Amino acid sequence: MTDIAAKSLQIDGQSSGWGRGQNLADWAFKVTTLVFAVVVLLLLGGVIVALTDGALPALRHFGWGFVTSEAWNPVTENFGARAPMYGTLVTSAIAMLIGIPLSFGIAVFITELCPPWLKRPIGIAIELLAGIPSIIYGIWGLFVLAPVLQSTLQPLLISTLGELPFIGPLFAGPPLGIGVLTAGLILAIMVLPYITSVMRDVFETVPPMLKESAYGLGCTTSEVVWNVVVPYTRIGIVGGVMLGLGRALGETMAVTFVIGNAHRIRESLLAPGTTISAALANEFTEAVGDLYLSSLIALGFILFVITFIVLSLAKLLLIRLQRQAGT
Amino acid sequence: MELYLRRRFVNSIVLTLSLVATIVGLIWLAAILWTLLSNGLAALSFDLFTQTTPPPGSQGGLINAIYGSVIMTLIGTLVGTPVGILAGTFLAEYGRSSRLSDVIRFINDILLSAPSIIVGLFVYEIMVIRMGHFSAWAGAMALAILVIPVVLRTTEDMLKLIPDALREAAAALGTPKWRIVTMICYRAAIQGLLTGVMLAVARISGETAPLLFTALNNQFMSTNLNGPMANLPVVIFQFAMSPYHDWQTLAWAGALLITFVILVLNISARIIANWSRVNQ
Amino acid sequence: MMSDSSSPALDSRVANSPGTTPPRPMLRTTIGTATAMAGPKAEPSPVRIEIKNLKFYYKKYEALKGISLPIYDKRVTAFIGPSGCGKSTLLRVLNRIYQLYPDQSASGEVSFDGKNLLDPKLDLNLLRAKIGMVFQKPTPFPMSIYDNIAFGVRLYEKLPQSEMDGRVEQALRRAALWEEVKNKLKQSGLGLSGGQQQRLCIARAIAIQPEVLLLDEPASALDPISTLKVEELISELKNDYCIALVTHNMQQAARAADYTAFMYLGELIEFDETQVIFTNPSKKQTEDYVTGRFG
Repeated sequence: MTDIAAKSLQIDGQSSGWGRGQNLADWAFKVTTLVFAVVVLLLLGGVIVALTDGALPALRHFGWGFVTSEAWNPVTENFGARAPMYGTLVTSAIAMLIGIPLSFGIAVFITELCPPWLKRPIGIAIELLAGIPSIIYGIWGLFVLAPVLQSTLQPLLISTLGELPFIGPLFAGPPLGIGVLTAGLILAIMVLPYITSVMRDVFETVPPMLKESAYGLGCTTSEVVWNVVVPYTRIGIVGGVMLGLGRALGETMAVTFVIGNAHRIRESLLAPGTTISAALANEFTEAVGDLYLSSLIALGFILFVITFIVLSLAKLLLIRLQRQAGT
Repeated sequence: MELYLRRRFVNSIVLTLSLVATIVGLIWLAAILWTLLSNGLAALSFDLFTQTTPPPGSQGGLINAIYGSVIMTLIGTLVGTPVGILAGTFLAEYGRSSRLSDVIRFINDILLSAPSIIVGLFVYEIMVIRMGHFSAWAGAMALAILVIPVVLRTTEDMLKLIPDALREAAAALGTPKWRIVTMICYRAAIQGLLTGVMLAVARISGETAPLLFTALNNQFMSTNLNGPMANLPVVIFQFAMSPYHDWQTLAWAGALLITFVILVLNISARIIANWSRVNQ
Repeated sequence: MMSDSSSPALDSRVANSPGTTPPRPMLRTTIGTATAMAGPKAEPSPVRIEIKNLKFYYKKYEALKGISLPIYDKRVTAFIGPSGCGKSTLLRVLNRIYQLYPDQSASGEVSFDGKNLLDPKLDLNLLRAKIGMVFQKPTPFPMSIYDNIAFGVRLYEKLPQSEMDGRVEQALRRAALWEEVKNKLKQSGLGLSGGQQQRLCIARAIAIQPEVLLLDEPASALDPISTLKVEELISELKNDYCIALVTHNMQQAARAADYTAFMYLGELIEFDETQVIFTNPSKKQTEDYVTGRFG
């Protein structure tokens, strides 16, 4: 008979020494995992505190004017966030305008049109695109895309769309190759894999029976997609789009190479500009003066707030979709 | 009949457009890889691994940058992985439905997609300023912070895949909870956990922004973790933006190296994940 | 099959008055020379586990509505009934495996060796060393066959290699698996067939030398030949263990069990020797179920 069987079960508060040791180990392990899980919360809290702390001098000095001022003069120590914010928002908007239709098209292709043997290779290709670090996109943009745009697309845009009445000024100016539009294009390629994956996953949650009943009525594929798939998954689509937006807003390296680093807001999309992350990347290590540094950190703080809001909304929407799908 | 023809027409337009979109997407990928290969391969040489980064206008290599990247990636992974695994264990084993774990999961997913430059700023504020100088330690910590959300997510997902029946069978033998988790669950999920770590490493290998103001850069070969240390992404940044041809060539070589390593990691992770599925 | 007298059946009919949980002592004293289809036993068997007014709740839902019955040592007690009647729930109370899930709770008294199993101060790990369980789906651990068996033993004892080898072999022999795996002990348990995996789980459970075995539909996921092997195993194991068996297969209960409890919608409808339940049940519901009129 084993030692255990020889011991009788203890009912009073003191379990056997062996049992108590294990209870201690159980408790210690649970507490350890809890502590490390809380670390995640502490990280977020720490980021907020650290950024606020660093940004406060600049924010106090400039007040609300910081957000509205377009100035950026390290010599006179006059800084404003308007130009970087504008650049961040516009490049991301361009990225979304171009990226969403493309991602949608690819997701539709993968789920509805693609022959089965092609699905996995294309899926893998999309993931490879997502895995390429952003700095690669950056140098590719600088050395390949920008010259190509400079010699082909941009002159074309200037001579055609640049002549039109309303949107003309958007495409004015010398073809530099680099600029806000180029940065937006690179961002579009960067967010493409993320939005495509989310859309594809979301499209695949549509119950086949739903689609079959539409096909059974004689609907064409595009009609099934438009009338069945999209309404069923629209929350997920929005969530995926916002996830892509969150990434685009915060993207640094790809944009820094091709944006031109000019702290000015110009009407033309072909002009150079700057984004918050590009400004940080280009200027942080050379910034002298506490106000300069604090202004840059304030920029980072603003970026953090914007992306936090966008990503939270995206997450909430995706959670709602999961609940709807019953997972 | 006219309506029907119009519907058919719209359908073919839409489907053609989606095909075009896919081709466009694939063309981008091909173009980037092609440029990378052609420029990078031309720049490959043994010198890359034997010489340090040169001043502008002369020949050199990338060994100090390679060393720095390897060291900081290693330390970042060693620090971030246990945190991620233990935190993910908590969410999967102890906090399946508590409010706290819902919040932690939410925050973790946001950290997963947050701009990495913000992480760099954060580590700058708490480490670089405190210490008074840039350092490889700071760079490694920034990378560790990027590792944690990835590993946490995959750990939780993998542990949740393990059927409760296995846990019950162990419990029925009288196994204490902590042993069920460490001796049964971890063993069952080992391949998934490994995949998660590899994906995290692949992610941080290419990160530039968090290193920009933590580890900075170093023209010379340095093994001092307490000072600025060269690393591939920042070197590529600096060299590519410069007007010097030699530097640009080295930048392409470095870019090829990084991309190659990342692709190998991604493919290996995929192979491991599939191999475990085959073996079940 | 000999029945001593007509009194056990008569008493049990009286004891099983409709709707109420019957008083047990009458049945216990008269059951002395009872026989079951599985084979005659001459000596009386003591009660190993006594269940008194057991209630079970999934959150607010009452899944067991006050169950009382004895479980005899060195005998097989089968629990039968249609899906959802609570038989698995009842089994899972006996080793408090339900405690893994915070939404589930139990009240009442379950006596085992003079202690109440439901006492919150009870050391659960030690309890499970004495009351072992085999589940419906085979669940080999992700390790070698040898380590699967050794895992449980190592929780409680520090044995030198040779003794551990002996224990592993003993467990595998008793589970009728030794001959099939003796040359591949180092291979993963996952590589065995379904029937072999389940016998591995049985070996794993008996390796730590429990006194009671809880079998929750142990053969339902197996093919007929493996099922037969498991049933033969059960009739051998009952010589040394107190066995509680949940099965949805009535014929299996008739073949393997000494006593049978018929449950329906969380209540114990009838409890008696297997022979009685299947040939001369006292409740109409029982008769309807065993003759296949419902369920």
